[in-house]
Amino acid sequence: MRPKVAVFDFGCCEGCQLQLVNLEEALLDLVGLVDVRQWREAMSEHADDYEIALVEGSITRESEIPRLEAIRRQAKVLVALGACAHTGGINAMKNHMPMEQALEIVYGDKARWFDTIPARPLSAYVPVDAAVPGCPVDRQELVEVVKALLMGVTPALPTYPVCVECKMAENVCVFDLGLTCMGPVTRAGCRARCPSNGNRCLGCRGLVPEPNANAHKEILAEHGRTVEDILAEYRMFVSSAEVAQ
Amino acid sequence: MTLRVMEKGDLASFVERLIASEPGAVGPVRKDGKHVFARLASVEDLDLAYTTTLLPPKKYLFPPQETLLRFRLGAPPVVEPVLEAPPLVVIGVHPCDLRGIWATDRAFGDDHVDTNYRARREAITLIGADCLPDEHCFCTSVGSHLPEPASFDLFVTDIGDAVTVEIGSERGRALLERYARSREATAADLAGLQKRRHAKEAAVKARLNVDVQMLPLLLESVSTSPLWEQLGAKCLSCGNCNLVCPTCYCFDVGDLMQLNLEEGERIRRWDGCTLVDFATVAGGHNFRREAKSRVRHRYYRKFQYLMTRYGRSFCTGCGRCSRSCLAHINPPETINALLAEAEREEA
Ligand code: SF4
Ligand code: SF4
Ligand code: SF4
Ligand code: SF4
Ligand code: SF4
Repeated sequence: MRPKVAVFDFGCCEGCQLQLVNLEEALLDLVGLVDVRQWREAMSEHADDYEIALVEGSITRESEIPRLEAIRRQAKVLVALGACAHTGGINAMKNHMPMEQALEIVYGDKARWFDTIPARPLSAYVPVDAAVPGCPVDRQELVEVVKALLMGVTPALPTYPVCVECKMAENVCVFDLGLTCMGPVTRAGCRARCPSNGNRCLGCRGLVPEPNANAHKEILAEHGRTVEDILAEYRMFVSSAEVAQ
Repeated sequence: MTLRVMEKGDLASFVERLIASEPGAVGPVRKDGKHVFARLASVEDLDLAYTTTLLPPKKYLFPPQETLLRFRLGAPPVVEPVLEAPPLVVIGVHPCDLRGIWATDRAFGDDHVDTNYRARREAITLIGADCLPDEHCFCTSVGSHLPEPASFDLFVTDIGDAVTVEIGSERGRALLERYARSREATAADLAGLQKRRHAKEAAVKARLNVDVQMLPLLLESVSTSPLWEQLGAKCLSCGNCNLVCPTCYCFDVGDLMQLNLEEGERIRRWDGCTLVDFATVAGGHNFRREAKSRVRHRYYRKFQYLMTRYGRSFCTGCGRCSRSCLAHINPPETINALLAEAEREEA
């Protein structure tokens, strides 16, 4: 029996689903192994008898909560797909301003037509069984997570930071290139995508389980970042975490 | 052992001929203002004016990630070991990194012979080169600043107007005879080599203020030092110090399945004792829960446990961990602070 899968989206850019669509050959194999029952972005039929729910996006509206709860009731396994679903992602940056202001920035004078609540990860409302972090998700990791689910095991995410993969790739540390980096506190799994291309890590995969944020913030300060800069760094992707307050 | 001498231009043509005739030649090349060991396409790629590379040449013996075997599930399962050991000439290895290879030879070759490591070790030719230190090198404090005769195939030192070549093995001698023009060394060449070595020793600035053989005793007396607490508070548990170290040899093993969920491969990947879950065992218990106990463990590995076992420091003084630790945790300062504390307590 092929496991029945459905894909859902909440507040996000749908970029992670795009990664799923872009899997191409790998996707064909996956589709052979799973039975896709519902996927707004890729197919028109839909059925509600799914077992695995891949859920993208963060919860940004009151009306989304019951929809998410219904998915949770149906799914045996609920997977948070991408940074928005996993940590709140970029969306949660708005949590640090009044909601009316956030609405105005996004919708201008139409703001009064929309309701919004602080953006929260799925786990703020329902239990989440597994996550594929990242903005957007790493395709290879996405495939690994799906494989693990098919084998009936909980996919384990690395608990070590991006620095580990960065060192293995023998990159010059971007701190030595005059930049600063969220790598030391960010969960690995992207094969240090950004530092491997000469950019700093922005922390899109969320924090490691035990970040030493105090020590990291001191290092950022030593490298010339102001208190405001440092808060902004932490608020970009992990703003719902305590250390970003 | 024999000492030979090459004229300066002859070293370049020797390297050129190695690149052209040997199956694989690697050496230090520039990368964003630093150096890494990498494939040499021509002698122009080689830059011997470097202190240390980002990763030590260990990566050719014990790669960051490698496949150990491929398998197909079923009754019975099919298992096929994977062993890749292409011949390689590594040019420009500094004395500290030769000592690093001595250390990994102990770890992978003594009690538990690691087939993959041994095969690659056999396939590698080491051409060492002398160096000048930067502010982090402390090789003289752990006695790894001189090339030991059994640790290389050839070792070159720039003595100003010529280059001396020490021959450390028959393989090295054969390469030299085949590809290089060299002459016998004179007393003046030997004096030049001595002078060059003294100059290097004098240039090493970072140091441990304690005799290397005293390190196990020192560490034994400071296991409850408040310093570990302070270092633990600064440490990011990022693993950088482990990953760049020429003598760290820990790894993690895992299986990677293909999409058909029938075939897969077993891979091993570098691990590090400063990472949070390094000491987490089945059942979830982590017996080095706090950063301070992980940092302390790392120092005990280098300067106590392994030293007691092998009679030599497992730290080569290369300074890579000092250079890559964003929190500035480094062996000279740590050891000297511990020593100062032990001396205070005695007074
Ligand atoms: S570039 Fe970033 S991720 Fe890489 S080692 Fe430096 S701090 Fe860590
Ligand atoms: S390096 Fe950092 S910002 Fe870039 S993909 Fe990885 S976690 Fe995200
Ligand atoms: S530690 Fe010593 S041997 Fe190693 S690069 Fe520095 S000076 Fe050379
Ligand atoms: S490099 Fe420094 S901060 Fe990172 S684990 Fe090692 S001691 Fe800790
Ligand atoms: S502990 Fe540091 S200085 Fe010593 S060998 Fe390892 S990286 Fe080099």
